[in-house]
Amino acid sequence: MNDQIGGNLKRARFQALCQSLRPDLLRFAFWLSRDRALAEDVVQETMLRAWKAQDSLMDEAAAKPWFLTIIRREYARCFERKRLVTVDLDELIAREEPMLAAAQDQDLAELRAALFKLPEEYREPLVLQVLMGCSTAEIAAELKLSNAAVLTRLFRGRKQLRALCGEDTSLDPDE
Amino acid sequence: MMDCAQYRRSILADPHDPNPDLKIHRDGCPECPEYTDRLLRFEGRLERATRMNIPAAGDARVVPLRSPTAGASSRTLFLRRGWLAMAASVLIVLVVAGSLWLAAPGSSLAADVVAHMAGEPQAWARTDVPVPPPQLAVVLRDSNMRLDPNAGMVSYARSCLFRGHQVPHLVVQTEMGPVTVMVLVHESLPQAVRFDEGGYRGVIVPVAGHGSLAVLARGQKADLNAVRHIAGRVQGAIVWTAS
Repeated sequence: MNDQIGGNLKRARFQALCQSLRPDLLRFAFWLSRDRALAEDVVQETMLRAWKAQDSLMDEAAAKPWFLTIIRREYARCFERKRLVTVDLDELIAREEPMLAAAQDQDLAELRAALFKLPEEYREPLVLQVLMGCSTAEIAAELKLSNAAVLTRLFRGRKQLRALCGEDTSLDPDE
Repeated sequence: MMDCAQYRRSILADPHDPNPDLKIHRDGCPECPEYTDRLLRFEGRLERATRMNIPAAGDARVVPLRSPTAGASSRTLFLRRGWLAMAASVLIVLVVAGSLWLAAPGSSLAADVVAHMAGEPQAWARTDVPVPPPQLAVVLRDSNMRLDPNAGMVSYARSCLFRGHQVPHLVVQTEMGPVTVMVLVHESLPQAVRFDEGGYRGVIVPVAGHGSLAVLARGQKADLNAVRHIAGRVQGAIVWTAS
């Protein structure tokens, strides 16, 4: 009986953990895939895989990188399965306009469209840092890159993004 | 000694890099503070841009309620029917009891606060580098508040989605180490709640007209009275800018 109660509490706790992380995971999947429907599929599949493998999560403090790894693998699987075709960026932005729009803030909508235009190699580490709060070392571990390579990508990504947004980049340093 | 190009390369890669050499350069450079302010304003907008509104989970199950191993043959199920009926009734009692436990306003709110901590372990770093004031202001602005310096040094500030609302998630460096503060303007409580779970100890105190304030420390040995004292200090340092 005690085991069962413990199991129920454990499941409730895991469900609460999933619920609390889901919004940011969905955002991350959206920025990764630039496709809301695909992002929802990826997150749903991630939650199911996480649910089945919950015993392998030994420490709740490690939940975020654990979920991020699953989500990136799942996205890669979707990519292989669906053999996603390259699409025109403007078409992509127009299609996801409801997600990119920001009520009463055109500036944010433009920033989101600019983020869409960043190459994935820059967009992904930038979103991991800004949205998910990952440190350079955590990004490096997730993307299997060196710290220096991550910093270079973050530098280039932020620089390109600022230029795309019409920011004054005249004082930005060269590499 | 770091030059301007090195400084700017570093903060373009990580605007919140706590490297003390960056601070030394910034403090002694006539141009880089303005460059930094502009970058941090952009960074605040970028963070908001990445956090678009997304549909709530709604009725969609985030995780299955049943074990995926369900799939036994009908014969086995027939033989087990009696046991299943008994198990089901026990399960219903457990689920109802569990639901009632989770539905208790104070404890479920505390459980959600603790669950939220798992998502941002890096926030607990012990540091003497404060969050730049413009970044802190952006995080607090959506909750119509600002924080008086009496609260203590804020080393981490993010706007987090919590129970469907963006809320300030802060870490204040205190005499007892880093302490997390979540300003929950949408969560009202009739009275203060103390909690001790998942390796965190803390309090959630009601704030008249502004929901509640969750303050928690990490570790089983954290002194709850000290946490309560810090909660009072932070509460007293909040300046509400609109009702």
